[in-house]
Amino acid sequence: MPVAADPLSLTFAALADPTRRAILARLAEGEATVNELAEPFAISLQAVSRHLKVLEGAGLISRGRDAQYRPCHFEPAPLEAATAWIVRNRQIWTDRFDQLEQHLKRITNDKTKENQT
Amino acid sequence: MSDAPSDVGELTITRTFEARPEVVFECMTTPAHLTHFWGPTGVSTPLANITVEPRPGGRFETVMVNDETGEEYPMRGVFVDFDPPRTLSFTEADVAGGMTTSITFNDLGDGRTETVTHQTNVPLMLMSAEAQAGLETSFVKMDAYLASL
Repeated sequence: MPVAADPLSLTFAALADPTRRAILARLAEGEATVNELAEPFAISLQAVSRHLKVLEGAGLISRGRDAQYRPCHFEPAPLEAATAWIVRNRQIWTDRFDQLEQHLKRITNDKTKENQT
Repeated sequence: MSDAPSDVGELTITRTFEARPEVVFECMTTPAHLTHFWGPTGVSTPLANITVEPRPGGRFETVMVNDETGEEYPMRGVFVDFDPPRTLSFTEADVAGGMTTSITFNDLGDGRTETVTHQTNVPLMLMSAEAQAGLETSFVKMDAYLASL
C-alpha cells in the first residue's frame, strides 16, 4: 500500500489516537521531556516513547539533541495541512451539493417542458 | 497500546433536494450528470475523467481539473454499497489512511429527497467536536493555539 508514503495519511494516523492527541495538546503549551509527558497518563515511559516515535515520524514533533532529556517540541505544519484538508473537504461537498441542486432544477425544468409539448 | 486508530472523527452533511430519490441517486452515479456538478467551484470534471462501475466493488474514479491552473485532483474510490435509490458508499484508500463516504437517500414522500452524507475516518473532526463540547479542556487550548497560528 502506498498509504504510508502520504504525509497527510501519516498525520491522520498519528492523530487517530487519543493519547497522542493529548500529548500534542500538552506540547502545544511548550516543550516537555518524556518524563513530564508520561506524568498525566497511566502508561509506561516505554508506551509514551512509542507514541512519540509515531508523532515524530509524522513530523508533528521534533526532539532536542540533548542526549539525556531530549525535550519534545510541537511542530504545527503537518497539523495545519491536515486542518486545511478538512476545511477543503467540507467545502468541496458543500459546493458539490449546491451545484447538484442547480443541476436538478435544470433537468426537472427540461422534463416539465418536454411533458408540455 | 495499539497504533490502530482507536477512535476517528466523522463528518455529516445533510441536504434536501427538490427531486425524488431515484433522480438524485441517478445524478450521483451517472457520469453524464456528475460532470455538471461534481465540481467544486472553480473546478471542472470532464465527462472523460469520470468512471462509475455501478456495483459493490466497482470503481468510482474522477479527475477534477482546476479551471485556472489546469491542476488535476484525482479521486480513486471503490464502491462498498451500491443500492439504488437508497444508499451508496465508497472508500478512498489513498486519503487520510482510508476514508469512507456514505450517502443515504431518504424519500421525504413529497417529491423531495434528503441526503445524509457521512464521512468516517476524519480524525481532526473528532478533536474539534470534543473541543466544542468542552469535554477536554486541553483541546480548547489546542484550538486556541491553532487559531493563533
